[in-house]
Amino acid sequence: MSHRGVGLAEGVSPLLLWALAGLLAIWFVLLLVEGRLRHAPLWVALSGLVTALLMGAAVLRPSLVTTRGTELFPKVVVLVDRSWRMRLGDGTTTREQVSLDTVRRLQSHLKAARVEVLGFGEGAAKPMPLAEASAGHRPTDSDLTAALRALGEAPGERPKAVVVVSDGRLTSPTDSSAPEAMRALGERIGAPIHTLRVADTSPPDASIRRAATAGAAVAHQKLALQLQVGCSGGLACDELPVTVEELLHGEPPSLLAQGSAKIRDGSATIELPFTLDRAGRRLVRVRLQAPAGDRVPENDVRILTFDVTRERVRVLHVAGRPTYDVRALRMWLKADESIDLIAFFILRTNSDATQTSDDAELSLIPFPVDELFTEHLPSFDAVILQDIDAVEYKLERHLPALARYVRAGGGLIMVGGPSAFMGGGYAGSPLSDVLPAVLPQQGAPFDTAPFEPRTTDAGRAAPTLRGVRELFGDQLPKMQGMNTLGAVRPGSIVLWEHPERRAGNAAMPVLSLGESGDGRSIALAVDGTHLLEWSELSERGAGRAYGALWEGLVGWLMRDPRFESARIELTHECRAGAPVELSVTRLPGAAVDVKVTLLPLGAGAEQPGPAAPMPDKQLRMEASVETITVALGVLTEGGYSATVRIGSAPPARFDFACERGGLAFADSRPDPALLERLARETKGVSLKADDVESLSAPPATRVAAERVTTPLLPAWLWALAAAASLGGHWYLRRRAGLV
Amino acid sequence: MSALGATLTSFTGSAAAFGDVGAFNPRIVSAGGRRLAGPRSTAPSSWSMELMNRTSAPARLVPKELGLDRPELSTEPFAIWAGDADVGPLTLGERRGLSKFIRLGGVLVVDDSDPQGGAFGRSVRRELLRILPESPPVRLDPSHVLFKTFYIVDRPVGRLLGPPTIDAIVRGKNAQVLFLAHDLLGALARSEDGGFPLPTEPPSYEQRQYAIRFAVNIAMYVLCSDYKDDQVHAPFLMRRRAQSR
Repeated sequence: MSHRGVGLAEGVSPLLLWALAGLLAIWFVLLLVEGRLRHAPLWVALSGLVTALLMGAAVLRPSLVTTRGTELFPKVVVLVDRSWRMRLGDGTTTREQVSLDTVRRLQSHLKAARVEVLGFGEGAAKPMPLAEASAGHRPTDSDLTAALRALGEAPGERPKAVVVVSDGRLTSPTDSSAPEAMRALGERIGAPIHTLRVADTSPPDASIRRAATAGAAVAHQKLALQLQVGCSGGLACDELPVTVEELLHGEPPSLLAQGSAKIRDGSATIELPFTLDRAGRRLVRVRLQAPAGDRVPENDVRILTFDVTRERVRVLHVAGRPTYDVRALRMWLKADESIDLIAFFILRTNSDATQTSDDAELSLIPFPVDELFTEHLPSFDAVILQDIDAVEYKLERHLPALARYVRAGGGLIMVGGPSAFMGGGYAGSPLSDVLPAVLPQQGAPFDTAPFEPRTTDAGRAAPTLRGVRELFGDQLPKMQGMNTLGAVRPGSIVLWEHPERRAGNAAMPVLSLGESGDGRSIALAVDGTHLLEWSELSERGAGRAYGALWEGLVGWLMRDPRFESARIELTHECRAGAPVELSVTRLPGAAVDVKVTLLPLGAGAEQPGPAAPMPDKQLRMEASVETITVALGVLTEGGYSATVRIGSAPPARFDFACERGGLAFADSRPDPALLERLARETKGVSLKADDVESLSAPPATRVAAERVTTPLLPAWLWALAAAASLGGHWYLRRRAGLV
Repeated sequence: MSALGATLTSFTGSAAAFGDVGAFNPRIVSAGGRRLAGPRSTAPSSWSMELMNRTSAPARLVPKELGLDRPELSTEPFAIWAGDADVGPLTLGERRGLSKFIRLGGVLVVDDSDPQGGAFGRSVRRELLRILPESPPVRLDPSHVLFKTFYIVDRPVGRLLGPPTIDAIVRGKNAQVLFLAHDLLGALARSEDGGFPLPTEPPSYEQRQYAIRFAVNIAMYVLCSDYKDDQVHAPFLMRRRAQSR
């Protein structure tokens, strides 16, 4: 494409041009004034005007300019809302399908523009090939502000226009954003923002629009869950029941709270207080009973994840008799400021003769066994039973409740001694089912032959024993006997074993760890761990090994991340029906096998998730690899518990929720008004998606490739003509009698 | 003493701890090779026997005697240092052994058999001040847990009535060295026929019983530390004290 025009000589500045124009204008005015005052003939004035123009041309030397080049199509950025919410639809088509169709039509309509399609959701917008539009992770948010900010800061060519394709239910800006903030978005880009609305009407829907708590979740402390329930799209809502349940491992969901939302003007707010007793990641399912006609059932259920913290770990320490081992444990527990210790020691048996006439001379109190193991049991994070006879001290009848407590997420440590394990009447009890090792029901309950426990491979790999091993290596103090235990239960781990005694085909476990339901348990079949502090060996660790052992044991019991063998997290939010991946990070070490087991939470209850365990995943981690990604496949809605075993180390567990709609579906109403406002404030236009062809492209930019300058006349000829004209003008003036 | 020990061993019957490794063990320590002689040497066994008869705590009936410089001192958290004369300056090994024992958290009872003279008590304080200059003895409050670990007692008592208070070296929250000026071992000492060879001053059956109770309380303090200071016991103990008044 070429273009012709007239130019001036090089070096002619605008100042010179204006100065020359001014002089010529003055000359012409003087000529007119002179003609009037002296009645000069017209041809004198005309010759003067010609002379002035020729003199101007002699200075400016006009030339013919021919330009050859191209017209560059304008850059148009299309920002497509990629939120999971765009999967909402009207029953026949989803908002995502409408948006993709709109983008295709826009691309074919804006032929005279360079269209770049980006998907936005969280952070900067990313290129979105339409062919792969349905693949990949979808964000929960629709953060248009972040996308525009990143676009404005990106280097390179700025777009001439931005087109937003969305339903308007944006995370940012929102309908409460100020007009100035909206205008600033367009100014940042330097281009108008047009909006294409993919949905204008709300589906008939009752939903949990918002679920929030005031403050963090702390174990044993009441937490108020505030729910905003909405009803839209013409759905008839009055009073909608709401239930709140905790999803547990291997047990039906536990009801935490229930209530009803009274809908007024399309929404209601309801507060449901409840208490979570166990710390760590807890999954809470909130279920709204929607009325008939609800077209979006995905947002009737939310599965919330609470990271429940503890103010202090509340430990119940019960000992059957005071010994140096009891003393050491009590002093360690009392010295730890993060532990709230409740202790009961049996100081007198029925056969003891206190030599008193009145119990008032004694400081003893009755062992409140019934009160402790009924009313107060849920308030404890961990229970330590140290060498206490369950039968003699009437603990036996509470063992079923104690087993349930462990399965519900409590921690249990049984510490050895003559009255522990078999010797305390625990064999065959419900509590024995949650211990990591089987308790034989026949044979001697304990053996008093001295031995040095042997650390197993799992013990060497377990972070639980890291502190002890750093001080003592594989060496341990000699114990003066141990309780008789059977083989470890499947899934449990042995950290110390007896060098000679056997339990079935394996060495008898001395220290073993196990998981049962949501809880963890430890079986320590000796009563001499205080020798880690008080023995000739302890000198090597300056007495610190005892604290290191118990810090590891209680830490593992309470799922302290420092004592877990792996850190597990989701690579992104789990969505029902979409592929899920786990990221597993281990401590540096040798190549190991990794086994991942996935179980649904709340088994046995009515839930759409799989009822049976999913097949285990087996992987290999090479020595140089610290993090791997494990594909879990496509899951259905529900809570899940992933257990990862790294080599022989104790397993680490990670509970997570998989939702159908999640926060993204919480509010199904589109917001066309917001898109109209955004377009208006940024000098763009807002159109329905159907009217995409009405959108006009910005003007093209011309880019010059070649410029040819041809003088109209040679410079000397302009000068000669100006001089001749000046001479002619002088001659005519003389003839007219002018000077 | 060995006969008494054998008799008592057979009395213990069923095991109270594997190999009694965690059982209360009132070991006698000595400095400069001065061993405890006479009737008081039977007191540790008697102390163990009384503890087992009256409480659920297991105890060792034949406690060992060992020097302060022996490494075995730091293999258990309790020891008694008794005497009636100036112990003289401790050797470097004895100071190191005693320092390690106390820094590990051990409890030492310093029992002056001749508190009227007071030479033993003064000399032990002098030596301990050299070892633990940062922890001078302080007077224990009458509400200290030592007076309620098993029996509710009003004051320390031994063979001698002695002062109504106890001085102690307190480290952290724990009273680790108890200075007794009551000849506690004298009250606990037994003859081969089971009698008490050393009479109390003033002569009193009740005083000996209170001395035994106080000894049981010390043992319980060693085994349970401040267990009876736990909040859960407070209302019961307040009621009991009100009843006993």
